[in-house]
Amino acid sequence: MRLPPFERKERKNIMGEIYIKNKWLPYLLILPTFLLICIFKLYPIFNSVVQGVLSSDGTFTLDNYQLLFADKTFWSSLWITLKFNLIIIPCQIILSFVMALIVNVKVKGIEGFRTVFYLPFCISLTVATVIWQMMLSVNNGVANSILGIFGIAPVGFLIDKKWALLSIVLIASWRGCAYWMMFFLAGLKGIDTSVYESAKIDGAGFFTSLFKITVPLLKNTWLFVFVANTTANFLMFAPIQIATEGGPQGSTNVLMYEAYKAAFKYSNRPRQACIVTILLVIIMLICLIQNKTLSEKEA
Amino acid sequence: MKKRRALALLTATAMMMSMCVTGCGGSNASSGGATSKSEGEEKTSDSSAGDAVTIKWLSQGPGEDAWEGLTKPILEAFEEETGIHVEAEFYSFSDLFEVIETKSASGNADFDVMSVDVTYVSKYGSSGYLEPLDSYFTDEEKAKWDDASYQAGVWDDIMYAAPENTSTQELYYNKTLLDKAGITLPESDADHRLTYEEVAKLAKQAQDALDPDGSKGIIGFDFQQVSRVYQMNMLANSLGGSNISEDGYSIDGVVNTDPWKEAMTWYQGLVNDGVASKGYDADTLQEQFYAGNMVFMIGGTWTSSGMKCEDEIGCTYVPCFEGHEDQVATSTGSWYFGVNSQSKSKDAAAQFVKYLTLGKGNDMWLDINGDVPSRLEKQQEISNDANATPDMKIAAHEAANTAVPRAVTPAFGEYSTILDQAWEDVRNGADVGETLDNAVEQFDSAVASYKK
Repeated sequence: MRLPPFERKERKNIMGEIYIKNKWLPYLLILPTFLLICIFKLYPIFNSVVQGVLSSDGTFTLDNYQLLFADKTFWSSLWITLKFNLIIIPCQIILSFVMALIVNVKVKGIEGFRTVFYLPFCISLTVATVIWQMMLSVNNGVANSILGIFGIAPVGFLIDKKWALLSIVLIASWRGCAYWMMFFLAGLKGIDTSVYESAKIDGAGFFTSLFKITVPLLKNTWLFVFVANTTANFLMFAPIQIATEGGPQGSTNVLMYEAYKAAFKYSNRPRQACIVTILLVIIMLICLIQNKTLSEKEA
Repeated sequence: MKKRRALALLTATAMMMSMCVTGCGGSNASSGGATSKSEGEEKTSDSSAGDAVTIKWLSQGPGEDAWEGLTKPILEAFEEETGIHVEAEFYSFSDLFEVIETKSASGNADFDVMSVDVTYVSKYGSSGYLEPLDSYFTDEEKAKWDDASYQAGVWDDIMYAAPENTSTQELYYNKTLLDKAGITLPESDADHRLTYEEVAKLAKQAQDALDPDGSKGIIGFDFQQVSRVYQMNMLANSLGGSNISEDGYSIDGVVNTDPWKEAMTWYQGLVNDGVASKGYDADTLQEQFYAGNMVFMIGGTWTSSGMKCEDEIGCTYVPCFEGHEDQVATSTGSWYFGVNSQSKSKDAAAQFVKYLTLGKGNDMWLDINGDVPSRLEKQQEISNDANATPDMKIAAHEAANTAVPRAVTPAFGEYSTILDQAWEDVRNGADVGETLDNAVEQFDSAVASYKK
């Protein structure tokens, strides 16, 4: 709501007075958060970058990167990470957008559907993975029991290299789509219904409205979801660690799992630091491109 | 205005304080697994005779039913005998490695003795965390352990740790299932073992009789620690294969060889024939045997106590491959004890290690926990004891005669991660030769950082 001119002036004066009298108060108020961000976010990132370029005697070296780049496992892991993200990001974004469109319709009891659609996100990813692991088991899983009814031989969803990566995409998307759906739903709720009504009067059908009104008006939501989804999926770790441990035949060995192995199985912190730094650079680059492509041009 | 300002200041201060408290809490939490004394406590140094000496021991197994409770009488007896007081800190299995790594990497001298899993001896030895023990143990004393147990505590010709006990494998079978299938197991002993091929055939027969359409999910024959080098390497070893190169830094020319290819191909065939399982990991597979769903299983001596169903089980010597009767191999290794290289009480610490591994403390431990001894004298005792259980008799024989030490390498973490995956991939149908070549390549890359 826009304040009348005199009220705005008065408010400005009050704020100015507070600022002058308590010059340091705003800084003091943000200090705890700033410190927490520095300690728990910026310092680990900085530390990781530094660790990657230090030798065991503490001198600057690029040997760690040289060793990493000479390692075929790293390149294969990088390719699997890209492949995984090329599949999962569009799948999750399109699916969650469709889900948001479905639960945005005005019918009786739609709140119930919204709850059901959102419910998977309320389950921890670890628990969800364990449940899916049981359902996809080659021995007595529900999925194979259903396939058995149709005379299909058991499929090794998590132990066959043709299926393992897709199964991880399925597990992560089952839960992830529910989360991203909520952002699209919030965006859809923000679009003025009169725009649709005018379009309808002008003879626009469902798809015309969807592509000419809904999609363009959700530009900021798309941008946020793209960036956040890319980051989340590049850092995907739990389902892989629990269900496949990077296998079978390295088919799910994404960079995050390779970093975990370096840190906790090989005690090779410099290797882990290099991998994490490379991941950070990749994510930043992709997010910059997305930002450039999708952000609104200044008038 | 003043009120708001005061409130804001108060809030900011409270948030900062809460942050400090959280920070302090963090350092406490890091010692989460420990159940004993605080780190700041004063420790009396090892000094002249007559002074009370206190040493600190880092170990795994918190809880009264675990090492913490079981070793109490041993620590009391040691103090009574030597006057040396032992402060023990017990951590969970995985926490112990982190604690040792963190403390030792920073040259911490606040502990004297550490429990070392056998696979970490070479890593801690080569990293300088462990004090060489050769000056504390005479050759006569070293000869008291079976060779496999002793060698597993040695890295680069230096003894870094002493064995508490060992572990070995046997062939367990479900008698009830075999009876139902109408199968009588041929007589076997240490010199006339069943062969792996015979066991596979019997397992298939049992499956055909008990579960012809496979709907009951009866597993014919498998390994308790499936897809783990600890147990799976036995197959390659039984065909004459080694675990790692002499220097501990290469598997090229070791695993990409005929014995390994033959062993993996044989196991893959077992899986493809439906005799061995797919899809279970080591934790869940043994439950199938305990639940009466598996006919034969290669397992450790703890198998009998794990049974959950009423089925009667039996055990016999580990099989051999046809034509390789003289190359029987069983996996082995357990916990070791070593002295912190930064300890200020090395003599007292070494005395404690000797007490736990060769002295009265070891006798007490074997009585309390019933593990397979590393000491030849104790293994002989079991073999000659008419009242010893059959599985302990077999275990004592295997430990003394067929045990093959695990790969001794500072890169054991890399070794087991890569080869565990190789065994699992072959189990799931991967090409054997290709898998082993990949494993060699991966291991070479992984150890490159050690050679810098």
